[in-house]
Amino acid sequence: MSITGFAHKGRGVGIRDHQLILPSVVCSTHVSRKIANEVGALTFAHQNGCGIIGIDVPGVDNFFIELANHPNVQSVLVVSLGCETIQGPELLPKINQELSRLLVIQESGGATGTYEAGVVQAKQLRDNFKSEPKEVERLVVGLDLARNVENLAEIKSALTASGFAVEIEDKKGVSEHNLAKLMSKKVHIIFSFADENQPPSGFPLIPVINIASTSPLHAALSAEFDLLSDVKISEMIELLTKVCQGEKTKSEVSGIGEIVAPRAVRSV
Amino acid sequence: MSLTGYKRSDGRWGFRNHVLILPLHQILSAAARDIEEQSNGAVAVSHDWSQMVEKDHERLIHSLAGNATNPNLYATILLRLGTPIEDEVITRAKSYGKTKLVEISLSDFKSLDKLTQAGVTEANKLLTEANNEQRVAAPFSAIVLGLECGGSDAYSGITANPALGVASDKLVAQGATSILGETMEILGAEHLLAKRAITKEVGQQIIDVVARYEASINYEGIDIRGAQPSRGNIEGGLSTLEEKSLGAAKKAGNAQFTGVLEYAIAPTKAGLYFMDTPGHDIEQLTGFGAAGVNITVFTTGRGTPTGSAVMPTIKVATNTEMATAIPDIIDLNSGTIADGTQTLEENGEEIYNLILDVANGQLTKAELGGHHEFNLSRLYGSSDKLISYARSIHRT
Repeated sequence: MSITGFAHKGRGVGIRDHQLILPSVVCSTHVSRKIANEVGALTFAHQNGCGIIGIDVPGVDNFFIELANHPNVQSVLVVSLGCETIQGPELLPKINQELSRLLVIQESGGATGTYEAGVVQAKQLRDNFKSEPKEVERLVVGLDLARNVENLAEIKSALTASGFAVEIEDKKGVSEHNLAKLMSKKVHIIFSFADENQPPSGFPLIPVINIASTSPLHAALSAEFDLLSDVKISEMIELLTKVCQGEKTKSEVSGIGEIVAPRAVRSV
Repeated sequence: MSLTGYKRSDGRWGFRNHVLILPLHQILSAAARDIEEQSNGAVAVSHDWSQMVEKDHERLIHSLAGNATNPNLYATILLRLGTPIEDEVITRAKSYGKTKLVEISLSDFKSLDKLTQAGVTEANKLLTEANNEQRVAAPFSAIVLGLECGGSDAYSGITANPALGVASDKLVAQGATSILGETMEILGAEHLLAKRAITKEVGQQIIDVVARYEASINYEGIDIRGAQPSRGNIEGGLSTLEEKSLGAAKKAGNAQFTGVLEYAIAPTKAGLYFMDTPGHDIEQLTGFGAAGVNITVFTTGRGTPTGSAVMPTIKVATNTEMATAIPDIIDLNSGTIADGTQTLEENGEEIYNLILDVANGQLTKAELGGHHEFNLSRLYGSSDKLISYARSIHRT
């Protein structure tokens, strides 16, 4: 099956053409959102980047780099504050240099100056560097197994038979950790099997197709799932194809799913 | 100067009359933001809680329930899925205060679109009710002041922090409550603060929470005295943690400490308190908001734009250069003390007056900029059982 995506130099071929406004610290998340809303880019709120210690420092740093270098990303504007632990000027060289820019609030005229400069830079990145269409050589499909899935083997072999690579994360309970790990593995698209007591999920950079279970919560929230529990594998692949061609998943339309960086140590 | 505010039926006072949109699961954060955007002035927060029972369960429940009932709120709209764990937050919130709580459940509305529409309608109805409430004369005991610093530099300890201490002392003497946070930032200065405690027991509590804090970091295999001051602080001219701490503690002036508070827990009577919070600016603001702080003063050397959805947050610059370079995030400059154009007492008086002006309704730069940062603070189990260990190692 041939899927045409977007050539993102240095990042690979993606099935989405997202611009990411990446706040390197919680203190720049609000300015980042204002810029993103103005230019139609993606961003996310988080609580990291400062007051973190130990293994969380390289952990969060790597997470930001992986987000910024994901194949579904067209360009990145890093917005940093200036005095935080994860320093923007050090983060930028670790991100793909192609179409990546940095603004530092404390050196760019505060929140207002950064917002204004950010809008200009984000538009330049978007308008001056249009992504060329290119075939996705090997689509990587992620499976978020936050609950047990009985016909997993059949799903895997059907995806493989269609020529797709499959990555699996199976931590039970909440989906967010699985989604973050699948992002690190550069999956283009995700089938999410939410825990029976958890709602459907999302991950702004990556289309997530949510498949309901038969639980009472999922029955109550069925309108927010893309596919119901009795879905056939052929129907899953049919929807996956459409989403790869641009159809939005429900979580992409609603914008649900906070991007949660892995943390293990308390903030200082 | 006179003080006005909103008298709440639970006896507390608010200086704002906000309607808060609080999601009770992280996937409802996007809807909360949409409701804020589409309503006539509701404020929303986002977070990453997925309703899993974690080691920090109690801390998370306090944080959510406390912020839902901050006295600056006329009402809180709780966005929920319809799960039992949400009832725990709501029950706790009801025990904290009489803030009007309205629940909107995705299980009832079936779709996020309909939930958002219902949220906007409800928010606008509550905002109309809130606008009909009148400010009335308030006593100084209405003030619950939060003392915070972030992005400190070499000026912090000689300009903005001691000037804020002057304002805090004056308010505490007039019957207000003032809360110093950031345990890391008193590390090395705890013995000086303990001497100012109202009783020996309170003094010991100050020593204990600092030792517990240090133990919780040691538990992670990290020497906090090596990790702090932060790189930003060093670039700002601070050389040691003790220097940072001695400066940071000056925010609390010279008043006696009435008590020590656990994170996100409200004081029960007026006075000066120390609260065990992380130095992380936003985790601290969330803890203050949950404890019923209704106005915060945040001193900064490097300049940071952050604010809170539930509390006006006044930014005080420690140096004139930064205050001049980024005026859109600074409310008041204490750099004048180092410049020699104002005395500490004069600048402290200016902060005091600004606190009253902001309490009376003047908007802060963070409010004008729409800053509503919010974080849930987690200890990941590191601090729970360390008090006895901490006692065995602390320096007396």
